[in-house]
Amino acid sequence: MALDTAKLGEPVEIGQIGREIKRLWEATGSAKTRASLINFAIYCEAGEAAERNTELINEFTRTHACRALLIIAEPDAAETRTRAWINAHCHLGRAGEKPVCCEQISFVVEGRARNLIPNILFSNLDSDLPLVLWWQGEFPDPIDEHLWAWVDRLVFDSHLWRNPTAQLTLLLDSLAHTQSRLAMCDLNWTRSLHLRQALAQMFDHPENQPILECLEHVAISHSPEFRSTALLLVGWFAAQLKLELQSCEGSQLLLAAPSGKPVTFALTAEAGRSISRCEVRSDKAAVEVVRDGSGDFFRVEVRLPQGRTYHHLLPAGNNETTSLLAEELALGGRHRVYIKALGIAKALL
Amino acid sequence: MPQPCTVIIFGASGDLTFRKLIPALYNLAADGDLPAATNIVGFARRPKTDDSWRGELKETTTKSSRSGLNEEIWGSFAPRIFYHQSEFGNAAGYQSLAKRLDELDAQSGTRGNRLFYLSVSPTDYEGILTQLAAAGLSGTKGGAWTRVIVEKPFGTDLSTAHALNEVVARVFREKDTFRIDHYLGKETAQNIMVLRFGNGIFEPLWNSHYIDHVQITAAEPLGVEQRGPYYESSGALRDMVQNHLLQLLCLTAMEPPTDLRADSVRDEKVKVIRSLRQMTIEEVGTHVVRGQYAAGAIAGKEVKAYREEDRVSPTSMTETYVAVKVNVDNWRWANVPFYIRVGKRLAKGGTEIAIQFKNAPNVLFNKAAEPLGPNVLVIRIQPDEGISLRMQCKMPGNAIRIEPVKMDFHYGTSFGKASPEAYERLLLDAMSGDATLFARRDEVEGAWKFVDVIEEAWHQSENPPPLCTYPSGSWGPKESDDLLERDGRTWRRM
Repeated sequence: MALDTAKLGEPVEIGQIGREIKRLWEATGSAKTRASLINFAIYCEAGEAAERNTELINEFTRTHACRALLIIAEPDAAETRTRAWINAHCHLGRAGEKPVCCEQISFVVEGRARNLIPNILFSNLDSDLPLVLWWQGEFPDPIDEHLWAWVDRLVFDSHLWRNPTAQLTLLLDSLAHTQSRLAMCDLNWTRSLHLRQALAQMFDHPENQPILECLEHVAISHSPEFRSTALLLVGWFAAQLKLELQSCEGSQLLLAAPSGKPVTFALTAEAGRSISRCEVRSDKAAVEVVRDGSGDFFRVEVRLPQGRTYHHLLPAGNNETTSLLAEELALGGRHRVYIKALGIAKALL
Repeated sequence: MPQPCTVIIFGASGDLTFRKLIPALYNLAADGDLPAATNIVGFARRPKTDDSWRGELKETTTKSSRSGLNEEIWGSFAPRIFYHQSEFGNAAGYQSLAKRLDELDAQSGTRGNRLFYLSVSPTDYEGILTQLAAAGLSGTKGGAWTRVIVEKPFGTDLSTAHALNEVVARVFREKDTFRIDHYLGKETAQNIMVLRFGNGIFEPLWNSHYIDHVQITAAEPLGVEQRGPYYESSGALRDMVQNHLLQLLCLTAMEPPTDLRADSVRDEKVKVIRSLRQMTIEEVGTHVVRGQYAAGAIAGKEVKAYREEDRVSPTSMTETYVAVKVNVDNWRWANVPFYIRVGKRLAKGGTEIAIQFKNAPNVLFNKAAEPLGPNVLVIRIQPDEGISLRMQCKMPGNAIRIEPVKMDFHYGTSFGKASPEAYERLLLDAMSGDATLFARRDEVEGAWKFVDVIEEAWHQSENPPPLCTYPSGSWGPKESDDLLERDGRTWRRM
């Protein structure tokens, strides 16, 4: 699809971006307030992503004041060139008085110009503020390691990768090589956040903990295209319960508890939300989390011995991309559990 | 308002005259800050008439003036511009200049006040100054004043600077000699003193008890452009560190002066220069990193390496990047390093001073696995002059999540009036006889003494430190990052 640059704003010379941004704000005078708390950069490759991402940035800036940098790469373009645009997203503040505005700088990087991306990024950052880079799509092999120098949070969605294992290996090797301390933020991991929170809460009660100690089986129902989300969830169980992978045959996985006791995992693909159901079962009890029809809530059922059953209704979150992103940025930290979960999930993805 | 005078520019056909000096004088006139009777005389070798020079100046001023060009204002400004053609070594040219200046004094009422601007190569200084003296142009008569402005580079090392100072001193008194450093004319550079001594909150913190270190950066994405031959003989250390960056360091580190007279301020700056810990040849390798840009990318375009630039040696050892760890050995700055870096073909352009405060104690919020970032006060000298303060802030929500936020003050958007260009302020000060923003002889020589040992280690020692390369469009060589990393610090993100 041809790139439509109409929504990217005003075209500017790349060498003059700083001056043009300054002019942009001077022209607005004191009627608007410019705000920025982070540098929020998006790298994407598809031409149609320009409009989608500009809309996403517009939405994102309602709640996250930032300098947005949108880098659209077109590596297959015949000509090698780089173009830039600037625009502003203004929203009325909560007090409803002065509009609060954020700037967006967009770049279209065509042909062999992809190796210019680190410079484009470094030269247009708002100083002293953290850099969140959202890499949409696959990482190139090799990755230009200069990229990691200043990235604080690297956002990606492993669900969209054709070969998640290869991509994660590439990324982890590159980060290890540069000794980067950036936080890896996999939206595919965030996608199961509310489910994991719902499950974890059920074991706060001491009466329920024997289910984990005597865990026998975990059943996960997932939408066919979200198998990777389910596998990350398996990785989470394995990391938190110190389970070790024994075998994997299609959708049936066999893991072993530290005691050597076998734990089976069954993944079922069925139409619906990313993960629609997860049941955790021991020989005597079970916890089942099912996304309700509206998709907004998880209905949780705890089945204990002697026929005692408890029900809970917990928020399921919203799996829209902007919500996942907002959720991710609200979390902070380095996602150590995710790294642990990858230990097993990477081999399964 | 200074007394009216005649400004005589040597090097009238040079780039500086067209891009900076005439636009500055024009803007002073446009703002009503230039005495109406002021005349401008250009002195250069090329044959031109008053009218042809005015025509050329109009064209370049239109492009370079911060306020554009108003035909009406130019119409009253241009008739006060004159061109005087002569070789710099031709005595007759100076005799005729003297005659012409007397005539202009009589016509305009400039009363014999003269400001000579040497916008020429330092090798021409001696010849010009000698001729000025021989033609009786360096002296004063009847209460008038005669001053000279000299451009950098003021020498290439301590001995040449000393010799040059001797040459100038033979013709002009120190109080009439104005060594220009245009960084000092910038609004924010002038504001450093106001920020420090005009606010109650900063000065009590401005010492080794509260400040961890200071970073001074002068970065530019440009390469050497057409200045290859000059840069080959100069390099980043002589071109930027000896003058601009050490001047900024002095303003940041100096004690409060007793008053705002030029010598009171300059006395304090000299004390800082004298407190700079002199490196030994052996220490240069660990305290200084020199680099040279390789091919890379700037502003979306591939650019070539320094050694491939026009009129640059393919085996050049000239540094285009320097990072120096400077220690100021006085009570206030004990154990507070000043890290200076300057470079061409870096990712972003800008000159900034960053005061990095010590971290909050490692209790409460700082107990988290990720330590909180420090408070950083940034003084932006150029472009987008202003000041920002980075601090930690709790993000809205039920959890204690702390992120850095930045309070930012921009000159450009905070005041209705645009800041004058540095040359405007400096020319006006020289006309007024105020040398506060100009370097004094002992400052210049002290700064050369500090950098000479680095040059010596690089070019004359038996075991010179390596010249590191860095890709154009990056933030300099890795060795520069290592320089700070060894001290547990990092260069801040610009």
